[in-house]
Amino acid sequence: MNETTPFNLDFNQYSPDWDRLGVVVPPFTIEADPRFMYLSTETRRALSKVSYMVEAGQGASVIVGEIGTGKTTLASWFHSRYDRRPDFTAAKIDEAPKKSGLLLLRRIAAEFGLRTRRATEDQLNEFRAFLVEESERGVLPLIIVDEAHELSHEQFVELRRLLNFRDPRGGKAYQLILLGRPELDINLRESPDFNDRVATRSSLDPLTPDDTKSLIEYRLLAAGRDSKQSVLFTDDAILPIWRETRGYPRSICLLCLHLCLEFLTHDDLTQIGEQFVKDFLEKHDDYRRATE
Amino acid sequence: MSKKKDKQQEDQAKQRASTLAALLKEKPKRGRPSHNVSRQNVYVALAKSQKKQMKQLAGLLANEISRADVPDLAISILSARLEALRRAVADRNREMPEGITDFESLYLLWDLPLPTADEKEPSWTSIRVSPQQAIELGRAHGTLNAVFGANRSQTFSLALSLLEQLIEDHPLIQQYVTVEDLRKYIIDLHS
Repeated sequence: MNETTPFNLDFNQYSPDWDRLGVVVPPFTIEADPRFMYLSTETRRALSKVSYMVEAGQGASVIVGEIGTGKTTLASWFHSRYDRRPDFTAAKIDEAPKKSGLLLLRRIAAEFGLRTRRATEDQLNEFRAFLVEESERGVLPLIIVDEAHELSHEQFVELRRLLNFRDPRGGKAYQLILLGRPELDINLRESPDFNDRVATRSSLDPLTPDDTKSLIEYRLLAAGRDSKQSVLFTDDAILPIWRETRGYPRSICLLCLHLCLEFLTHDDLTQIGEQFVKDFLEKHDDYRRATE
Repeated sequence: MSKKKDKQQEDQAKQRASTLAALLKEKPKRGRPSHNVSRQNVYVALAKSQKKQMKQLAGLLANEISRADVPDLAISILSARLEALRRAVADRNREMPEGITDFESLYLLWDLPLPTADEKEPSWTSIRVSPQQAIELGRAHGTLNAVFGANRSQTFSLALSLLEQLIEDHPLIQQYVTVEDLRKYIIDLHS
């Protein structure tokens, strides 16, 4: 048995032999990558409701979820799907500027490739002109704001003004998807004018043990592992992983990444089982810090 | 020889007449409503629980509406919901919104409980539907089959779930005593 573990090495220089897992790319990363997005029931519910509202021109949709439940991945999914369609143009704001409504409008304008203005009214006029232009081409602008729980009341006021623009069909001209932590719901209650315009609300909850198993299998499959191969994570390994991560997708990916790295240092193993996971957690309870 | 032939022909005619008589004979109208409607048989695979569900749903509607009317009403709702969905994406270049990735997504979109695999194999059943509803079921099946590969039975199961939801959400539905009134109400609700 090879006793060297990734924890004894310079993490950035350690190059794992992913071939041994039967994958062509690392299956577990904590980066938001829509290619690896596992569609749990809650995710599919959010996708179907929000995309319906966007395409029906209903205005604002809200998705809330705790840290690591997949909001950013979902934001990237919406952006990549809608931006490549000829009848949509999408702007994604990963982190809104602090407090100022005008700064937020300017950031959105920059994402759409519009001129940025110093006065709010001028900026809104830019949006109005852009809307007329896009409407003629049958294009609907979509704005996606990630980390929306950080938006201020003033920023909600400006977003509401954007929502007031109408397209020739009479629908809301700008479609808006806000994704944020549960505090977003509290902040929205403090901006009732905007809150009233929210067409649908969805929440992303932590995964169940069954979903945890499906996520792990899906990621391995998406990374190139042959489905005919025997399972890498045995059924009994799922429960300790779920208990440790409480079903949060990002935590599951981080733990599975470390389990895979540890697994690759053991030449004699073919599967990751319950005991392996327990031993790992006992030995490396600080695994979260290893990637920092 | 000719006598024998004549007798044979006579027998055949008699047989034909008796077959015709049998066909014309009044049969017990199993599964048909008391009022006179021309309906078509459509075959779908239903689980026992779904057959029971149809009976229960009929019990929640006005007395004048029987179990035999349930398929018509269920199809009317599905048709109205799909039409609303079609209208919502009318100017877009897709038949279904981007995030509706599979057949189950429709259950999620409409807040219906997801279908569960029944413990026993579903059995083929004939449901009787009015000509208009037969066309609507065919159209819905065509759309859902093209987009998600759904079969007719799955399409009808979705329709039944929608009817159940409608009855739960709109208890005042009992005031509609004819199928026609109820159908009108459904169309108004989703237009």
